[in-house]
Amino acid sequence: MNEKPNPRLTANGFAISRRNFLGLIGSTAAAGMLGFPGQLIARRRGTLIVGAPADPSSLDPATGGAGTDHVFLYPIFDTLVEWDYATLAPRPGLAKAWHYPDPRTLVLTLQENVRFHDGTPFDAEAVKFNLERNLRDPRSNIRTELASVESVAVTGPLEVTLKLKEPDTVLVLILSDRAGMMASPKALQELGERHDRSPVGTGPMRFVDWSDGEKVVLTRNEHYWKPNRPLVDGIEFRIITDSATRLRSVISGQADVAYHLDGRQIPLIERSRQLQLVTGPTIYCYQLYLNMSRGPLQDVRVRQALNFAIDREAFVKATMAGAGEPAYMNLPRSHWAYDEEVAKLYPYDPDRARALLKEAGFSNGVELDMRGYSDQGSVQRQEFLLEQFAQVGIRGRFRTGTIPEMSATYFGPEKGGDFLLSAFTGRPDPSQTYALMYLEDAYFNAGRVPPPPGFLEALLRSRSTTDIEERRQALSVVQRIVMENALVVPLAFRNEVSAASARVENMRSNLLGKPKFEDVSLQDT
Amino acid sequence: MLTRKKLGMIASRLLQALPIAVLATFVVYSLMQLIPGDIAVTLAGENASDERIAEIRELYRLNQPFLVQYGSWLWNAVQGDLGVSLLTREPVAETIARTYPTTLLIVAYAIVLSVVIGVPLGILAASRPGSLLDSGIMSIASLGVTVPNFWFGMILALWLALGLNLFPATGFASPGDGLGTALWYATLPALALCTNGIAEVSRQLRSSLVEIQSSQFVRTLHAKGLSPASILWKHGLKNVGVNLLTVISLLFNKTLAATVVVEAVFAIPGIGSAIVNAVLQGDFPVVQGAVLAMVATVIVVNLVTDVLYTVLDPRIEQA
Repeated sequence: MNEKPNPRLTANGFAISRRNFLGLIGSTAAAGMLGFPGQLIARRRGTLIVGAPADPSSLDPATGGAGTDHVFLYPIFDTLVEWDYATLAPRPGLAKAWHYPDPRTLVLTLQENVRFHDGTPFDAEAVKFNLERNLRDPRSNIRTELASVESVAVTGPLEVTLKLKEPDTVLVLILSDRAGMMASPKALQELGERHDRSPVGTGPMRFVDWSDGEKVVLTRNEHYWKPNRPLVDGIEFRIITDSATRLRSVISGQADVAYHLDGRQIPLIERSRQLQLVTGPTIYCYQLYLNMSRGPLQDVRVRQALNFAIDREAFVKATMAGAGEPAYMNLPRSHWAYDEEVAKLYPYDPDRARALLKEAGFSNGVELDMRGYSDQGSVQRQEFLLEQFAQVGIRGRFRTGTIPEMSATYFGPEKGGDFLLSAFTGRPDPSQTYALMYLEDAYFNAGRVPPPPGFLEALLRSRSTTDIEERRQALSVVQRIVMENALVVPLAFRNEVSAASARVENMRSNLLGKPKFEDVSLQDT
Repeated sequence: MLTRKKLGMIASRLLQALPIAVLATFVVYSLMQLIPGDIAVTLAGENASDERIAEIRELYRLNQPFLVQYGSWLWNAVQGDLGVSLLTREPVAETIARTYPTTLLIVAYAIVLSVVIGVPLGILAASRPGSLLDSGIMSIASLGVTVPNFWFGMILALWLALGLNLFPATGFASPGDGLGTALWYATLPALALCTNGIAEVSRQLRSSLVEIQSSQFVRTLHAKGLSPASILWKHGLKNVGVNLLTVISLLFNKTLAATVVVEAVFAIPGIGSAIVNAVLQGDFPVVQGAVLAMVATVIVVNLVTDVLYTVLDPRIEQA
């Protein structure tokens, strides 16, 4: 074809000139910039929009199982006992007072004038119903938490007496967690299983809607019992699993808060003038769970070598962008039961590690079957550890998979792997942590190895006295036994990293690492 | 136009599709069995003991043999009951009803964009074959195939959403809240998805047009004195219609699969995210239901394509 192209056949084959075309684009862009977006985001000014990293497993406290559920549960359900944000020490909640007339009896005095969201009264009968349900319902995942409770009796309209099989002072803080979240007995009876998706509590927010993987919508409880609370009209949780996307939603103004962000995003948050960085230490701990029933890990010297081989300060800098605290035992520095002496047991000492391995008969190094998760952050931590281990002669490769998959393989019946690089989200009471990790039949004790002598006595002592100083001493003994025998390799506590828009007031982090919004308010724009 | 013959064809194709759909769900179910991990452990929660896990297996009947579980799922599915999510108890039909239209809107929008941008590019390239314009356009189009959707999506979000504030950075609005709003939220994801489509549509169109333009009958029309424009429009495009339709139909399948990553970048609660989460956690009722929905869609799209073939080109006879 050698002729000239027909001039009528323009760029698009349409009879539109370039000028008209640009004009069309321009006016669309202008419309966009002129506040067109603002009108279309139909948002109630007083609703707090929160970017959440995971969908809840269930909105019923007893039937759920994920550590990430609590953030959704706290606004809906008050707990019998509350806790101090900084130290996790117990404080009055729905139970305004409690005492142990004798070591096997716990008496709760309840708050008056509290109603559930469905209007039914909160009273001793309701507490009895909830506690018994948590203990007996086949779908309840928290039966073991109340295992020491023999009976629950209503001894007054606002008084409940628990009879215990053995002394148990841990119960107080257990009642600050799922087991202490009070749901309406009427709703539980009428809805049965459907309560998982239609929760009714006494909390500052009432449930409105849950679209799986998308959002959870709550609205203000007009008859909340605490004066001047809540301070916002509602909370809408948007499930945004990718942390970069979650942060973007706050930067773009579509959300007010995003929590559980990554340490590496801190510079981005600090650089942005519209955002506040909300951060603080938590008890969420990266650690190696050890299966002590198999392979070289049966020898305490090998386990101790693992502990000496890791430079935890470097770990925090390299894999957590500095947003963390090196962990030398299962509790962080600001916790009420922290023991500084135990924390000194394992300084970074690769020579000592090599000597211990040699003593254990592994002068040519040792091979271990390592397991971990396949997400980017986990892989980075694994690479760091492999490098440190290589320097002392500990060899191996990490086999990785998704969290549910690897957890099931390591902790479940298959019992695959010598150790698992994972994390422990922490519990309200330290003795729960130690029980869940080191007792012989504990889920997290993959090898089902009985704890060393002295452990059980000290643990029971920590549960049978109400005096906090005595509890701290007993827990120190427990912790010393754990670390001297190297039952675990703690790595670092993760700081909570949240971003909030400039409108958000009073957003604070807490040591439990599970954000609460009860005091949060929104400034008028 | 809907002759008995056509209706018969449609009916027979639908019947043929049924065993395919069943086979697809069976294959998916078998694959899920191969994934290590145990949903009972996830369901039992953070404090679970071995006994609790065994209990959960009893409770949700997860300890039944493989074929029995599949069989009971199939039996219920045939009666219209797709079951509930093992993890959240949401009925699977509701999950699909809630997430699938979201994904379909974005996929449709992406395909429209691919056509709206790709067709003019293809025509432009074909209007001067072998020229610098032609190779230039084709090179840019190739870029479309190589650019990763999620990366491009993030660039769009940073530039057009956070930078210029033209579009929202995350989220989704359903057409129920206003078609304009829905399209506004869906624009960036659709743009991120359409790069591949633009490339394929423009390349296909360009090569078909060039081929036709040098064919016998066009030369005859030319000799008869018809202008190149009217040749292109009236005769060229109608003939490439079949090729274009094929490309679009295949594009639908590809784009449907590609939405998963884009859904993550823009936090869109579509069926892609639902499937990924369900697979990762072993929530097989959701996976089965979603796969069934997607297989059904692909079958319908293929069917519609076939019917449109006969409309576009009567020479194509359908058995």
